[in-house]
Amino acid sequence: MKATPAVVRPVPRPWLAQDLWLARGVAAALLLLFCAFVLYPLGEIVGRSFWKAGFTLEHYAEFLREPKLFQTVRNTAVVSVVSTVLTVGLAFGYAYVLTRTTLWGRSVLWAIGLLPLIAPSFVQALGLIFLFGRNGLLTRTLLGLDWSLYGPVGIVLGEVFYCFPHALLVLYTSLSAVDASLYEAAQSLGARGWRVFWWVTVPTVRYGLAASAFLVFNLVVTDFGTPVVVGGDYRVLATEIYTQVFGLQRFGMAAVVSVVLLVPALGSFLLDSYFRRKATATLTGQARPFLQPTRGWGRVAAAAFAWGWAGFVLLIYGTLAAASVVRVWGYDWTLTWQHYRFEAVGVREALPTGLKLSGLAAVAGALLSVVVAYVVHRLRPWGSQLLYALAVLPAAVPGTVVGLGYLFAFNKPPLVLVGTATVIVLSYVFRFVTLGTLAASAALQQVDRSVEEAAHSLGASAARTFAQVVFPLLRVALFSSGVYIFVRSMVTLSAVIFLIAPGLDLPATAVLTLTTDGKLAAAAALSTLLVGVILLVVGGARLLLRVPVVLR
Amino acid sequence: MEARGKRPQGELVLHQLRKQFGHLVAVDGVSLEVEAGEFVCVLGPSGCGKTTLLRLVAGFETPTEGAIYYRGAPVHHLPPQERNFGIVFQSYALFPHMTVWDNVAFGLRVRRLPAHQVRARVQEMLALVGLEQAARLYPAQLSGGMQQRVALARALAIQPRVLLLDEPLSALDAKIRVRLRAEIRRIQRELGVTVLYVTHDQEEALSLADRLVVLWQGRVQQVGPPLEVYTRPANSFVADFVGTTNLLRARAEEDGGVRWGRVRLAVATRPPGPGPVVLGIRPERMRLVNGSQAAAQGNCVPGVVESWTFFGPYVRLHVSAEGELLAVDVPQEVLSGGRVALRDTVHLHLPPEAILVFPGSP
Repeated sequence: MKATPAVVRPVPRPWLAQDLWLARGVAAALLLLFCAFVLYPLGEIVGRSFWKAGFTLEHYAEFLREPKLFQTVRNTAVVSVVSTVLTVGLAFGYAYVLTRTTLWGRSVLWAIGLLPLIAPSFVQALGLIFLFGRNGLLTRTLLGLDWSLYGPVGIVLGEVFYCFPHALLVLYTSLSAVDASLYEAAQSLGARGWRVFWWVTVPTVRYGLAASAFLVFNLVVTDFGTPVVVGGDYRVLATEIYTQVFGLQRFGMAAVVSVVLLVPALGSFLLDSYFRRKATATLTGQARPFLQPTRGWGRVAAAAFAWGWAGFVLLIYGTLAAASVVRVWGYDWTLTWQHYRFEAVGVREALPTGLKLSGLAAVAGALLSVVVAYVVHRLRPWGSQLLYALAVLPAAVPGTVVGLGYLFAFNKPPLVLVGTATVIVLSYVFRFVTLGTLAASAALQQVDRSVEEAAHSLGASAARTFAQVVFPLLRVALFSSGVYIFVRSMVTLSAVIFLIAPGLDLPATAVLTLTTDGKLAAAAALSTLLVGVILLVVGGARLLLRVPVVLR
Repeated sequence: MEARGKRPQGELVLHQLRKQFGHLVAVDGVSLEVEAGEFVCVLGPSGCGKTTLLRLVAGFETPTEGAIYYRGAPVHHLPPQERNFGIVFQSYALFPHMTVWDNVAFGLRVRRLPAHQVRARVQEMLALVGLEQAARLYPAQLSGGMQQRVALARALAIQPRVLLLDEPLSALDAKIRVRLRAEIRRIQRELGVTVLYVTHDQEEALSLADRLVVLWQGRVQQVGPPLEVYTRPANSFVADFVGTTNLLRARAEEDGGVRWGRVRLAVATRPPGPGPVVLGIRPERMRLVNGSQAAAQGNCVPGVVESWTFFGPYVRLHVSAEGELLAVDVPQEVLSGGRVALRDTVHLHLPPEAILVFPGSP
């Protein structure tokens, strides 16, 4: 007779115990970090906006009473809406030319269209000043006009250039995803020309259009660099925070303006991600491009528009580079390298410091995002959903608000960090960790779970599996997040403007200082150098690491 | 005679295994004993719990209740790392960033084997699966069949106590599937390794297994050698799932015969008692006879040929008889010889020993 083994009830998940505690420990540590560097600064702002020796609504009342302050809301709305409409319209036309025509040189157009992605927002504005400013090449030198760019027109122009590539990316993806069979079906049913456009093209890319509109709106509302350089007296929310702090020392009011700015910023961010999800859901696997030979006037118009825009983009960067090597723009056109002698204007350390801090942030941020993705998607201990939310949140918070929050939070115990390089690196890491986490999550979902299980069954421990199997598979995500964080850190201005200290200059803040001091040529030189360095890094990463470079 | 509570016999013993996910009972009291060197196939439709069962044995899931023993010692509390069971996945699960060589060597390096032993063992394994030439390639450079050979070599390299295979062939196309099937069987015989093999493909299971375990709704329906399961299915589910069986609603009568519609049939197995029964008869067990033979022989049913499906060597006729549609397999010569045409009335002979009798209704 066979033996009957006694029924054994296993201890629940016994072998998982140590891995489980490890996962819980790591998740708790990460949660603590994100609370300290994402939630705490935000909480400080909200708190300060209601605080004046006790809870009060006084700051808000004051905000509503002061017409100048309330005017900033209207100004922000005006430039944001106008910039959004112009940018989306232009980018849609450009994307349409790239995806639907047989125009020559479309890959070149594509590269030029995306160029502004690697430049800080104020670089566009600076280039515009050299073209259209008081000493502008086009306005004064060529046309002899006495016209000033500063104000809403300058902001809108700068924003359109700055936001164009972001909208282009979204719209290009949407338009490429429409399969040619849809058009062929429409044509076989007798539709032609504008009918196909209104009945097939526009409906199929409507989510992409909506997403790009909210994305651009978000970028404009939160942008600090453009209005601070070409805004003149035209005050918008993002710059008003800065003015309230450094001009007027009204910290409570700065907090109120931040809270007010958070509303459209968060709203447009959420709508953008909502429509982005919808747009991706409608994407089919592989779409056959719908390219029809473009002839006649259509071809001329498409070429004029696309090459005209591309030429304008090149003109702005070219002007910037040119302005950095002539003695006095508009008056004395002798070539000189004198503007590149940065020690003369006291910003010699800016670029090396920027490279160092951005490099540190890139390494730390990339590692952090891989660990966060692994904890959230694979280990899934208690609290991992919250952790994921906290990792995505920073993308929605405007840089100026982050800067002010850090200024409030880390200027007093328990964490006195303001004035150190550490706080700048931390602000980089936690502002740009979102994209890294998303990239690592996407890469992780490509890895079949059974690959990890195979490693376990062959005897590998959890740590060894992570080190030898999971981590190498996330290598590409790791490198591309690293490059992304590096580039974003190099060009960001809005948060760090609150955090720099005497003797601690960064390239972006140095350009701003030079601009406000009227040393425009030196600002152009530093900007040119900055763009050149970033181009080198991005190109190097693509060639050496064979890493796709994601820029937003 | 052995006393209760003594250690269970058999190489691998599953005792009253139960796995619950929330309200869903995936595995519901499965007991099984696998002998050393035995090749056991777990066969069942998708969602029957077979993969969960395998994952319980591998250690990726922990049983809600029950126990797993290896050579008498409980292993269900051990992590997969300490069970020393090799596993081959449907998706191959090769490490994409490692060469074939490094994939096979992984488990040996984890065990800190000296380099020369690793080299010898990997070479031996690659020779066993016929992939010596591919050692330096990466998984993405290999065909699906080759990738699965690598996965097999990788799992066997650690000299597993038991080899677990989770639908290893279902991602491959038909010809390669058959070839790799023969190869798995050859390797298993050569190494004498104990195998637990999960599949939904009955042909695979019938041709590979020493013993078959038919699983349905988390429960074992039948355990036995393939021939026994095929010829004497334990219930109407097994009869229907393993091979093809015509299931007919009928009534058992007092005298041990059965009545199906207007027809009275003699059966070899005596029904449990009078009442409703389900008759099972395989398409290949029926024969076409002519009218006079039918009258003489008994156990014959007239029917009309409604349609047929051509399978190459044989033809499956769909014959309506007594309000049911029966599948009847005949050699293709019957069709090519012009002996049967659509709408013809034919006589089917149902041999009493070919009729399976199951209690209840289908």
